[in-house]
Amino acid sequence: MSKVAIVGTGQTKFSKDDGNVEELLFESADNCIKSVNNYDSNNVDGVLVATNNNSKYLGAILSETLGIQPKISHSIEHLCSSGTNAIISAYAYISSGLSQMVLISGAESATNPGQVLEWDKSRGNFEHPIYWGSILTKSHKRKFETTDEELAIVSAKNHKQAMDNPFAYSNQARTISEVMNSKQITDDLRILDCSRSCSGSSSILLASEEKAKTFSDQPIWITGIGQKTTSASFTKNILEEVKSTRIAAESAYKMAKIESKNIDVAEVHDAFSVCELMAISELGMTSNDKSGEFVRNLFNTENRMINPRGGLIGAGHPLGATGISQTIEITNQLQGKSRKRQISNAETGLIHNMSAAGTSSSIMVLQN
Amino acid sequence: MTFFEEQLEQGIFQICYCNKCNNTIWPPKETCYTCHGKTSWKKSSDRGIIIEFSKKNSTYFGVVEIDNGIRILGDISSTSPPEIGQVVRMNVSFRFKPNYSFIVENN
Repeated sequence: MSKVAIVGTGQTKFSKDDGNVEELLFESADNCIKSVNNYDSNNVDGVLVATNNNSKYLGAILSETLGIQPKISHSIEHLCSSGTNAIISAYAYISSGLSQMVLISGAESATNPGQVLEWDKSRGNFEHPIYWGSILTKSHKRKFETTDEELAIVSAKNHKQAMDNPFAYSNQARTISEVMNSKQITDDLRILDCSRSCSGSSSILLASEEKAKTFSDQPIWITGIGQKTTSASFTKNILEEVKSTRIAAESAYKMAKIESKNIDVAEVHDAFSVCELMAISELGMTSNDKSGEFVRNLFNTENRMINPRGGLIGAGHPLGATGISQTIEITNQLQGKSRKRQISNAETGLIHNMSAAGTSSSIMVLQN
Repeated sequence: MTFFEEQLEQGIFQICYCNKCNNTIWPPKETCYTCHGKTSWKKSSDRGIIIEFSKKNSTYFGVVEIDNGIRILGDISSTSPPEIGQVVRMNVSFRFKPNYSFIVENN
């Protein structure tokens, strides 16, 4: 099995405005290609597209517009974790020897169809994610005595960190008080507790060990992968848990031969404020009842180790691009290229991307 | 429309169960998820208990567990704030999508 490295990255700015998915894909892929040493389209033998968009044949369309004739080309949809699912599929193609170099591009328009899972009959009239977000938040508050202020700190921290991310949809700071007094969506959710669906695109180029040094001076290695899907229906979740994340993390740590304490920097899937608290607990960084305190401490000490680019709440959530942007952030951190966002001496990073109220999770460990 | 949806339209929540292993199949399906046997239907008791809830504007909504552990999201009517574990009565309908409503008993 070949080792697999990230050798190139490219993004577009996230935006609340709608965008054309084919053009968005091209823009981030073009930026990605330009980040690579000695690029030659003949070397790219795989092109994968991650999106919830209904446009067809996007892998082939992106390939044609980039002048690539790959062996493998197709789209991947898995709601909010489409991006990491595409990266992990590309990893499998390369490590198995079916491919040597794969471009993965994710994109979404702001009005994408991936926010509502119509199949899930258990949601009745309450299809929108704000309802499961409210229920998970209420349950966390009840079981672990999490306060509204602790939840607001997640958002205030991530908005603050997004200010130094040039690709974030908003670069506006939000105080804890502003979050707590923002528009009330439900009794348990304020608008600033919610990530915002937006348009945007991100691309990444993976290469085999044999090819990696040709294309990058600082290849970043994917050393751990874990995935788990427990269901598709939200109501099959145990409300205070994200079992899929816990199982996926165990697999990823085992593969990378690390423990949670070895993680220097992580991008976690903060679809709502409560999701960051649940994620860091299931990843083994803290416990559920201490997760609010953990985040408060990060905020007070200006420690950016969780969601340095601002997470989904601060940067925006273009579903198919999200997991790829999370991966780009950790790549940049491990390359020491994150400027104001840089975590010093970062050697091991983690990406946590999930779908549909945590019914599915994908986790990757990266090392330099 | 599926049989389940047609029944909802008539105000009936049908529980799907496996003829062979007797497991409850949710969401409903003609084939059992576990043993792949044929499934049948029986009417819900239309009773459930509140697992968790929140409120949007003046409407309470929440996860309610009905027959055999099936959990669904619906609106909750109550004269006072609902409580976890409270028994509710279920009313259902269907208009483009399922609609589940719960009324707290002994209000």
